[in-house]
Amino acid sequence: MLARTVSLTVFGLVVMMLVQIQPGNAEGNDGIKKYFSDTASKVKATAEPAQKREILDKSLQTMSKALDRVESSGLISQKDRAGIDGFKTTLQAKLDELLGRDGYERVTDAQLNSFSDYVVQDMEQAAQTITISLVSALLIIIILILVL
Amino acid sequence: MNRTFSAFCMKSSHNRSCTGAAHTIKGRSICVVLGLFLFSCSSLPHAHRGTLPGKERVSPVRYSIVCIIDGDGDYLYHDSRGNPHRADEEALVGAKMAAMRNPQAEVFIFHEKSRRRSLPFFPLRDGKFSYYRNGKLLAKESYGRDQGQPPLNPEVDLYYKYRQESGQPLRAEEKPDLVRLFLYFGHEIPEFESSGYDASRRDRKLTVNELAEGLKRITHDSTKIDLVVLSTCFGGTPHTIAAFSPCARYIIASPENLHLSYFDLHPFERLDTGLRDRDVSLFAKEYARHVFDRLKTEVQTSVTVAVYDVDFVRGYVNAVESVYDHDLNSFKGEAPASLEHCDCADNPAYMLPGMNEGVEVFYQPPRFGRSKHKNTHSGWECWRVRELRAAVSHSAGEVR
Repeated sequence: MLARTVSLTVFGLVVMMLVQIQPGNAEGNDGIKKYFSDTASKVKATAEPAQKREILDKSLQTMSKALDRVESSGLISQKDRAGIDGFKTTLQAKLDELLGRDGYERVTDAQLNSFSDYVVQDMEQAAQTITISLVSALLIIIILILVL
Repeated sequence: MNRTFSAFCMKSSHNRSCTGAAHTIKGRSICVVLGLFLFSCSSLPHAHRGTLPGKERVSPVRYSIVCIIDGDGDYLYHDSRGNPHRADEEALVGAKMAAMRNPQAEVFIFHEKSRRRSLPFFPLRDGKFSYYRNGKLLAKESYGRDQGQPPLNPEVDLYYKYRQESGQPLRAEEKPDLVRLFLYFGHEIPEFESSGYDASRRDRKLTVNELAEGLKRITHDSTKIDLVVLSTCFGGTPHTIAAFSPCARYIIASPENLHLSYFDLHPFERLDTGLRDRDVSLFAKEYARHVFDRLKTEVQTSVTVAVYDVDFVRGYVNAVESVYDHDLNSFKGEAPASLEHCDCADNPAYMLPGMNEGVEVFYQPPRFGRSKHKNTHSGWECWRVRELRAAVSHSAGEVR
């Protein structure tokens, strides 16, 4: 009985300490980066250009919707709202280029794999994601999980 | 151990003293595990030293490298196969490799890490320092980065601590053959007062001026670093180059975004070959060419690597200083999301004679996006309000 109590207490303490020492900052964006990397992997694993385009289109649209929901949730700060707006603008530009809208040359079928890498690399360059706080990043990931 | 003991106890289940002993052993095991756990969480002064120079026969050093790697931020990236990488960890491996493969170098490596929430009584250290000399690791210690202002104080202190113990003279006139190199790996260093560079300590501030100030303290105000490598995004601005110019002869930086795979350090692994004639200018250009060639094969976004010959660019930097400072001051009130970087050549105010003097630019436009038909880059990066680009982009779209 005593050992059980001690074990439980120690376990509780360890869990508490693990929670305490979580870094909790950069990890939020990791999920967003992984999302785009997974999309690129799916695109490359698909042979048919139409399907590649569909995967990219769906991925960008889903992320856009997630951003819209986070923005309308009322849980984020004004600063985060500006960051999310910038993020959405970047996504929209990628979508326009994929489809050849708004003055962009349409991404050709032969370029779709490279374009999927471009989306990953552009998103990973800090400017787009770094202005989004951990809370917003986690909200985006949660919504993505719910949507997918 | 517990499993063996339980088996033994099953054989003599009526033996109460055995059960008591089992509890005692289990309790002790738990205490040991807890103790080990707490020890692993603590940051008791962690210093390890090999035989320090001065206490052994010291081989002459021809190269002195100071390398600061920021790891307190969002440094995850994926390669084209989908494999995740941590940019700071990879830069650290590269720096250590360069340190071990240069028998005539001393190398100071600082890895600035995320500050995890500290436990009571256990102040965690968020910096790791390694000192290599003649290819050998001679000292290694953890340090706290919160040791007062300015921000690089702990790094400068450690530099002098080991530098002084090395017994080597510091001043250039006393050591004319020493080639000094400074490498910084991290995200874009803010140009104006702003917090949030460190992800785990949003209140901590770092600016270009503060980093340059730290470098001046390392150079002791009387020497110049032969080559400064800024492996960051947007390092090639007039303000950044001006800030480092008092303490640098050559600077390599990326005026635009730089992919997180960074400037790799392979060419630094054979300095005896690369710098055999102490020709830093040639080495800088060859190094820039190397990193550019590697990046352009792996990266779909733009790749821009520029080499600045500080003596030659000083005239241009001085000429645009007031315009740039005015821009910086006027943008201070703007929301970060409303600003963006641009090639200084896009703004007539910066198109002055001498803009291209002393700058060698290796540039590849992004394979996609609005700028994919932009064929050149001046090597100088400026700021503008984002709406301006909308107008420019619109007109560019009309031309197409």
